[in-house]
Amino acid sequence: MRAALARFAAGAPVPVFAVAGAGAREAVQDLRCRAEVRLVETPGAASVLLVAGAIPDSLAEPLARVHDAMSHPRATIWWPIGAPRGEALAAFPDLRLVEDDAMQTIVGVHRELLSGRRRSEPPVLPDVDPAPWRGVGPYGQGGSGMTGGTPYGRPMAGLGSDRDGLRLDVLPLRVGPFFPPFPAGLVLEAKLAGDVVVEAAVAPNPLAAGPLPRTAVRPGLRPFLRALVEPVGVAELELARAREHLRGLADALATHQLPSLGRRVLRLAARVGPGDAGLVRDLARGVSWTQLLRWSTAGVGRLARDALAGLGLGPVARAAGLAEDARLDDPAYRELGFEPVVHRGGDAAARWRQRLAEAAQALDLAARAGARRTGPVGRVESPRGRLEPSSAPTARLLPLVPGLLPGLEWGDAVATLASLDLDLEEAAAAEVQ
Amino acid sequence: MTFLGPLGVALAVFVAAIVAVLGLRRLGDALNDPALTAPERVPFAGGLPPTVHAWSRYHARYYVMALVFLAFDMEMVYMYPWAVVFVRTGGIAMVEMGMFIAILLLGVLYAWRERALDWS
Repeated sequence: MRAALARFAAGAPVPVFAVAGAGAREAVQDLRCRAEVRLVETPGAASVLLVAGAIPDSLAEPLARVHDAMSHPRATIWWPIGAPRGEALAAFPDLRLVEDDAMQTIVGVHRELLSGRRRSEPPVLPDVDPAPWRGVGPYGQGGSGMTGGTPYGRPMAGLGSDRDGLRLDVLPLRVGPFFPPFPAGLVLEAKLAGDVVVEAAVAPNPLAAGPLPRTAVRPGLRPFLRALVEPVGVAELELARAREHLRGLADALATHQLPSLGRRVLRLAARVGPGDAGLVRDLARGVSWTQLLRWSTAGVGRLARDALAGLGLGPVARAAGLAEDARLDDPAYRELGFEPVVHRGGDAAARWRQRLAEAAQALDLAARAGARRTGPVGRVESPRGRLEPSSAPTARLLPLVPGLLPGLEWGDAVATLASLDLDLEEAAAAEVQ
Repeated sequence: MTFLGPLGVALAVFVAAIVAVLGLRRLGDALNDPALTAPERVPFAGGLPPTVHAWSRYHARYYVMALVFLAFDMEMVYMYPWAVVFVRTGGIAMVEMGMFIAILLLGVLYAWRERALDWS
């Protein structure tokens, strides 16, 4: 009976919680299109933890916490994608390595787990309370009075004033670095009054702490990093740009709980070529006709034109009506008659319209570019804005986040962050150029 | 079941309920992970542990909407007896009910002006 049930369960898609480190974003994204696995949003729902790419040593503890948050039976698979095994994975004893085919390894490990041939992994972190509390206080609960002490190991939230003049709890919340709707490595330190963000800060980029070799950067970014040091074919660069925009949109659609539309966009990102601008325009029409994304993004996370001027923030700036683009300084693009696309509004909805329009424009440019190569080196318009050695658009955009989120409901805050298309990997790679 | 009589049926239901509760508890204990470690019991927020308790007193934003709803709900209750006497009393009952609704409506307008119907 038990064996029959296990066999039955092993036939279902494998629930996988994926942690995409540097170099692994595309590989992990492409798993969404596979029927054998189901990418879940919390480790509690997963039986396989897939660690892909390079995880910086400083994220060893968060990774261990993700592992321990999984329910039994559980297993961890490491998919190196060219990255060396760092300190972050040192504590995982039963780690299974992906040798050639990731899908085969995942399905195989899941079968072994369910059939009992593979032991469920024990916790990585020691069983230690965050603060001593047992036996402390009048009832041994670690507290005294209404809010004193550390009841059950943690202090109570502090008070803050509410807009109605009440004094209510303000809940400090650190989200990330492996929160699926956020880019890998982003840690948001927010304070919440109910579901409304009252204060927000962003922790330093953990990916930038150690050296990030060019080979560890994900394939979609490489043309832009190469364009910093040598001329690169315009067609190659523009095709990469269109794919980055589409992949960014696919992630956001998954965050907005539109997974099948997200898969459609992913499949389109994988197969578009120069001259496929019509396909992207059809998609843009489809997305705007269904109104699905618009309902949750219109008027959300509005960035004023003046706050963005001169920062070179690419689609984010152009969605607010600023015609800033590093490509305007490039003779190759001038020959092609390049004019930046601009939208009005500066909200999350405008940013997505902007990116889809730019993806279509990029495919047009790629079709017409011929053998033209970029002219100036040391500066390139990446899909996120002006990229220079030691200055990435994400690094310039992050300081605007603390001013943007307060007053938003949590869901709108997540939608806003998704629409900014932050990329800590690009920022880290730019720093070590 | 008729041979048990009404008291017997009640007793049988009572015993069955006790057995079901005890059985479910045993089943829950059997399925439960024996002992979770402290990091395993923590809710997931991306890999960082929470710094404070999730026991937090926050503003129930919907309370004003709930109160406004309740006011109109109770008004509907008053309308049932009113509908009975309306046929007999006619116009005067109509005016009285209009006054009643106008007072309630003033309350809604006041809540609106105070921005109580805005969520965030």
